Amino acid sequence: MATNGTTRTVTIRLQRFNPDVDKKPVMKEYTLEITSDTTILDALEQIKATQDGSLTFRRSCRHAICGSCAMNVNGRNTLVCNQRVNAHLDRKGAVTVRPLPYLPIIKDMVVDRTSFWEQYQRVKPWLVPPDDVPEKEFRMTPEEVAALNDAEKCIMCGACYSACTVTAVNKRYIGPHALLKASLRVLDPRDTITNERLIEISGNDGVFRCHTIFNCIDACPKKLNPTQAIETLRKLAQKREAFVAARKERQKSL
Amino acid sequence: MYKTTGFFSFALRRITGVALALYLFLHMWVIGSINQGQAAFDDRLATVQQPIFKFLEIALLAAVVYHGVDGIRLLIVHYFNVAEYRRSLFYAVMVVSALLIIAGGLPMLMFALGGH
Amino acid sequence: MQISHTRIFQLQRLSAIGLVIFLTTHMVVAHYPPGHLDFSRVIERMAYPLWKGIDILLLASALVHAVTGMYMVITDVEKVGRYRQVLGWASIILFTVAFIYGTITILAFRLPAETVNLIP
Ligand code: FES
Repeated sequence: MATNGTTRTVTIRLQRFNPDVDKKPVMKEYTLEITSDTTILDALEQIKATQDGSLTFRRSCRHAICGSCAMNVNGRNTLVCNQRVNAHLDRKGAVTVRPLPYLPIIKDMVVDRTSFWEQYQRVKPWLVPPDDVPEKEFRMTPEEVAALNDAEKCIMCGACYSACTVTAVNKRYIGPHALLKASLRVLDPRDTITNERLIEISGNDGVFRCHTIFNCIDACPKKLNPTQAIETLRKLAQKREAFVAARKERQKSL
Repeated sequence: MYKTTGFFSFALRRITGVALALYLFLHMWVIGSINQGQAAFDDRLATVQQPIFKFLEIALLAAVVYHGVDGIRLLIVHYFNVAEYRRSLFYAVMVVSALLIIAGGLPMLMFALGGH
Repeated sequence: MQISHTRIFQLQRLSAIGLVIFLTTHMVVAHYPPGHLDFSRVIERMAYPLWKGIDILLLASALVHAVTGMYMVITDVEKVGRYRQVLGWASIILFTVAFIYGTITILAFRLPAETVNLIP
């Protein structure tokens, strides 16, 4: 861990839950020396190493690309590996970390993400390209690429899914992560099952369940925009047939 | 709940929406008394114009105005790519509805207090 | 027939626009400035067929908006999900009944014969 001089003592408040012992999650406080560079994930590692080896959390890459360390810090979902403790201290010099809300807790910070992945699979997140692949490459215009709105940058951390008020009460809702991915595929000129996708996302659990609460944008650590993706899909779902016909035309000149 | 301006506006929208839907049916019931004749109509209308109802009507106005202005915000979000201004839009809705509620509510308050 | 969410969404947006127009008109014309209301005041306006037409449009917008809104609120709850088809039909019936009743009510605002000459 890189240090630059001064250390300070802070309180890390963690929500702990051990399914074998506890009936309900409990809050526990840990006092810790940190430097200005210490990330929240570093702090968790430090607690695990020096104070309580039973602390459980997911992490892997430590540089905000694997998406396993999403947690709820002071009431906001974020990755903990790219957030410094310093930036999140409240007035009393404490920071509160909980697991992602509205998901079943397995232990401590580890939540059950089954519904997250089930909904993801439901939108067929893969590309279904045309049968005859060109010799060299498909050519998309810069506008078509821009319209994807960086959605391919999603790291599947679950921050948006767990922040969404709609998924909180309804796990059948497809969810912002999967709808963002669906928009990525629907807007991709190479995609051939657009019609099927649009039918699925305009159904009972799809884009029209979104109530434009914007929690997904607030939560996204990659600054993506699921709400706008959903609004785009809403427009396309309403003119599905025309859009699918235009897609067929477009694919002749890919 | 995950508390953001978006959640707050959503909660208000739901609460006012359900309240207004229930009110709509109440309103139809009150006006429906015309089917029993003019006397019944005047009678029931007088019942719902007792002082307490005049104050409740100000709350009704507030609910209608908020729900309406918030709805216009949603239309704006749907048709224009402005999700990044979500907070400003939220505060704009609050300010606009507050102004409209004051403008509309003051005469109602004076009427409720003064009587004509 | 399946209850289509695309349709619900479109109905809700359309009725929302209808409400912005007709409800604003209704509130300003019928309830401003605030004053005591009784049959004689209401009939001043309701004697005109144009107002009856506007009020029927208002009624339709408000009912569509209320019914679709309630449907969305209720079916947002996961457990209710499997009853949504039934709820959809219940909404349609509720709308139809309320619309007929409301229309009858609006049309019931007729001038008593002896006061006809009060209208300019
Ligand atoms: S540990 Fe990989 S994203 Fe944080």
